[in-house]
Amino acid sequence: MLLTPDLVPTIVATGASARVNEHVAPRFRVGDRVRVRNHNPTTHTRLPGYLRGKIGIIEQDYGVFAFPDTHAHGLGEKPQHCYSVRFTAREVWGSLASDRDTLRVDVFDDYMDLD
Amino acid sequence: MHGIHDLGGMHGLGPINPEKDEPVFHEDWEKRAFALFAGTFVFGGYTVDEFRHEIEKMDPAHYLEATYYEHWLAAFEGLLINHGHITRKELDDRIAQLKKESH
Amino acid sequence: MPAHKAAKPESEAAIRVRALEAILTEKGLIDPKGLDALVDTYEHKIGPRNGAKVVAKAWVDPEYKKRLLTDATAAIKELGFSGLQGEDMVVVENTPEVHNLIVCTLCSCYPWPTLGLPPVWYKSPPYRARAAGDPRGVLKEFGTELPESVEVRVWDTTAELRYLVLPERPPGTENMTEEQLAGLVTRDSMIGVTKAKTP
Repeated sequence: MLLTPDLVPTIVATGASARVNEHVAPRFRVGDRVRVRNHNPTTHTRLPGYLRGKIGIIEQDYGVFAFPDTHAHGLGEKPQHCYSVRFTAREVWGSLASDRDTLRVDVFDDYMDLD
Repeated sequence: MHGIHDLGGMHGLGPINPEKDEPVFHEDWEKRAFALFAGTFVFGGYTVDEFRHEIEKMDPAHYLEATYYEHWLAAFEGLLINHGHITRKELDDRIAQLKKESH
Repeated sequence: MPAHKAAKPESEAAIRVRALEAILTEKGLIDPKGLDALVDTYEHKIGPRNGAKVVAKAWVDPEYKKRLLTDATAAIKELGFSGLQGEDMVVVENTPEVHNLIVCTLCSCYPWPTLGLPPVWYKSPPYRARAAGDPRGVLKEFGTELPESVEVRVWDTTAELRYLVLPERPPGTENMTEEQLAGLVTRDSMIGVTKAKTP
């Protein structure tokens, strides 16, 4: 496709959602306590290093999306659920961190296990 | 990839120093680099994820020192060559030619 | 004093971009006028005034605010804002108990339809590192200090959801129109590094 000026407004207004319209059973439910896997590939991932091995709580299920780890390498969408997971600052950064502050990170099915 | 881009929580990177009332683009070439994302995405055959990973593979020192759109430029060059739309030689020859002309 | 300024030498990046654009144009793969239209859109047509309208409407219209917090993508689209880098939106509300801060530690993800393109500082290593690990230090650098009793909640944009902060409505704004209220909503308050302006 050639991006000509007449196509620009549609592209801008529509974008390209990463949602996948497929029914995939979620691995977790809101309220579940999870442990982030020690997932450390040399290939693409959207799991930040600071989260590996940390304990969190599933706050929201955003639905089914393409999985970046495979989608970056021509290995398909591997659609799965993406969740907003709550972590305390202390859990992530240690005892010197605030005991009130939290992080909310978007985490895929394949990055976590039930704790 | 636990590369240089994986910056969350890193210490020692210094103050943020936000620029007041900064323009959307600081240089003309940044405008072209910005537009090349959508411009190449529509034919390129790569995903946004692959684009991001291409940036993640940059030399770490260059990654930290380069301005933002230089990251995109590095990614475009890699992706367009890897997906067979241009060759390294074509690009290098043209860059050399333009450099000669601008002196 | 010199009669003219010496022309700035063309940077390496500028030459590389010119080379790329020229080759791709010659191959018929890109249309420079298409690129021009994209630049014009994001330089002049899309920006934080969009997000400010969303926030101001939420401040005056409790039903709209409910829709915004439940299905942000649809609610934002009601005002005509949608699309690229905002296909799946989440709006997070500041309250007296919770202050939200948005970051993309891994790159520069940002809600373009409501805020336009991100500022350089948002995309730079210091913000990306410290917003996650030292949010209160970051807020302080922007002149925002919060009591320990407030929870600072940092949202790391690691997937394709895009986040917008709904700042608290400032006090003393009861008699302002929606348009006037939008004028108080700064880009920085919708990222979460500051609160909205007071009148």
